[in-house]
Amino acid sequence: MRIKRWRAVCWSLTFVGLLLLVTVFLSALLRPVRTNYGAVWKAYLAEPRDSLDYLWMGSSYAYCDVNPALVYDQSGLTGYVVAGPELTLSQSYWYLREALKTQSPSAVYLEVTALQFQTYQGYTQINVGYLPAGYNKLGAIFTASEPELREGLLCDLIFYHDRWKELTWEEAMEALSPPETDPGKGYTCVEGSDGTRGDSPYFRTAVDREVYGENLVWLDRMARLCREKDISFTAVLHPTWSRITEEKREEMAADLAELSIPFLDWTEAEGEMGLQPDRHYYDAGHFNRDGAAVFSRWLGEFLTRTEELTPRPQTGENRNSWEAAAAFWRS
Amino acid sequence: MAFFCFFPVVMAGWILLPARPARLWLLGASWLFALWSGPEALLSLLCATVVTYGGALALERVNRGKKALLTLLLLCLFGALFLFKYLGFACTLLTGLGWPVQAPALFLPAGISFYLFMAAGYLVDVYRGKHRAARSFVDTALFLAFFPQLLSGPIGRAKELMPQLRTGRAPSWDGLRLGAFRFLWGAFKKLVIADRLGLLVSTVYADPAAFGRLQVIAAACAFSIQIYCDFSAYSDMALGCARMLGVELMENFKTPYFSRSIAEFWRRWHISLSSWFRDYLYIPLGGSRKGVIRKYRNVLIVFAVSGLWHGAALTFLVWGLLNGLYQVAGDLAARHRASLRRALRLGEDSPLTAGFQMLWTFLLSTAAWVFFKAESLGKAAAIFAAMVRGPWLTHPVTAWGLDRPELVVAGLALLLFFFVEVRTLRRPVGAGLLDAPRPLRWAAALLLAAAVLVFGIYGTGYDAQDFIYFKF
Repeated sequence: MRIKRWRAVCWSLTFVGLLLLVTVFLSALLRPVRTNYGAVWKAYLAEPRDSLDYLWMGSSYAYCDVNPALVYDQSGLTGYVVAGPELTLSQSYWYLREALKTQSPSAVYLEVTALQFQTYQGYTQINVGYLPAGYNKLGAIFTASEPELREGLLCDLIFYHDRWKELTWEEAMEALSPPETDPGKGYTCVEGSDGTRGDSPYFRTAVDREVYGENLVWLDRMARLCREKDISFTAVLHPTWSRITEEKREEMAADLAELSIPFLDWTEAEGEMGLQPDRHYYDAGHFNRDGAAVFSRWLGEFLTRTEELTPRPQTGENRNSWEAAAAFWRS
Repeated sequence: MAFFCFFPVVMAGWILLPARPARLWLLGASWLFALWSGPEALLSLLCATVVTYGGALALERVNRGKKALLTLLLLCLFGALFLFKYLGFACTLLTGLGWPVQAPALFLPAGISFYLFMAAGYLVDVYRGKHRAARSFVDTALFLAFFPQLLSGPIGRAKELMPQLRTGRAPSWDGLRLGAFRFLWGAFKKLVIADRLGLLVSTVYADPAAFGRLQVIAAACAFSIQIYCDFSAYSDMALGCARMLGVELMENFKTPYFSRSIAEFWRRWHISLSSWFRDYLYIPLGGSRKGVIRKYRNVLIVFAVSGLWHGAALTFLVWGLLNGLYQVAGDLAARHRASLRRALRLGEDSPLTAGFQMLWTFLLSTAAWVFFKAESLGKAAAIFAAMVRGPWLTHPVTAWGLDRPELVVAGLALLLFFFVEVRTLRRPVGAGLLDAPRPLRWAAALLLAAAVLVFGIYGTGYDAQDFIYFKF
């Protein structure tokens, strides 16, 4: 009798497992395939384990401005942009935890405009939804996502099930294909200019003190996590025309110093990097392809000379892959 | 999604705890479920429970004035129902008649029409000596609050339900499997069929004059199927959940659209309510024992009340009365119809006769559902007008609220639904599945689940509480 009951329990669990598999399969099939604008986790996980020298994190300022393939071309350093559109610092924390599961970089750089982001910025469905399933995604869902989005983030089908009408065979194949490395290495290229930059820099509205305080707490958690793993952690502000006011930047510098987080404020450093606003900005916030190339080459020099990062040994296959990526962006 | 966390926890407690704590556990869970719909829902349920428990005990103990006591108790229960559900309607009617009255703004506690009818039926049974008054408060509370049936029935009877909830028997393996499959089938009917057809119906009914006659007629037929799939889906889910807990609830539907007359339709549609009205209203009114005229009067009273039970509006009253009139007319014309069949040499049970009768019954009920769905009598008139005036077709099919792929899915889902309905004539949903080999069984269940997950109408902005009968 007892054996019969256990057998029934085992069959039930097997069935529930199968049902979960079907759900996961359908979710993977129906969720839109995205390979840019931050939704690059699949390609990130295809990178050989422990092969990256640095991670560059943040929002669109990170993934539009830094082209790791050109940093490599300049310096031999391998890196990846682990970012998302308007990625909040609470989401960045979970991104960092997830990223460090497969990589052990020497340095992590975080573009910290997000210190002036609201608690939720409106891209949670993309930023958290595309995180690989697991503890970190759960953490992001319950601590860094709007409560009304949580059900959909737990089960992608809630957001995407009605895409069955628009799903093409090609997209289905792409969605189900195994992960492959991507020459973008987390970088998203925007060409030319959208004409919205304006004639002079503009200044972002600062967030409430309370929200800023919460953001600092998440930033501190990231710094602590890096310290635990013996990884250097640095906060940076990229050159931009959508700037945080000088007063707020000074406040940020003081707060970061108190948390023992090194801070590189490049907001007004475009001239010394060789960046020309008319040629190198796509809009007020982001570099275009040429701007990202200039910035990334400058960054390659900076990382090796000033930050003294040294390229780690790579397998022949991975070196070839990086050379191919560099060649792709050089052309 | 919260329900999918709530239910396994409740089930685990119900199965694993000893009988007495298990009953308290289930009662606590049921009250929590009521609280989910708002504090007023729980408060109203608790008041009804106290009145029913105390009232039943008192009915059993008193020797004199029993009838007066029952009347008082029923006045309490139905008075509460009137207060929450019909006071606004009454005030509107009075205002319309020239006596302006402002109705107080009251929340309608979820499920009130269902559990108050259960309570009233139980008290009448105790009064009639058909059922002993429950000595335990938990018995009464669990009977009224049992969460699978709390919001939308079936309207259970104490005789069947109380003993099951008292013994707290563990569900059988077959019961678990059948219950889960029944729940899944309910989800399919609700999310894939009812809510999909609902998009079409809402689009056409929003502006019937803008559509062709055939489209309005098709929308009316679609609503007949929508409301059946919607309500029977809830019943399937309720019965499925209860079965997984080892409790058998009353079947609420028996393929009503295969009925050959309106009278038969009402014996197969919302059975728990129809049988309640039969036992506690129609028969006490004299039923069919006191002559034809009294019988027809009783039928009309029962259907008028049934209409008002569904909603406090004239449209529901007309819908109920129309169904009553169908029955009266059907009864009056029975001899003539038999003569006509003989003249046409059609056997009483020949497939052609049966098919025609089913089609006719479906069309009659469809016409009545127009009143049920319409927000006002004027709107219902506009829908009927659009069925007989104007062009046959105006918009392309894609302007119906359902585009071509959606229509294909709806068509395929309806085919499956029809197939299952035909099979259900012989065996309950899912019963045949247990005899099938495991791979076939699993494939059927997984395919059904996949169909619900992909083709179901749910997601951002969808209200899982939006069952049509939740409003009653």
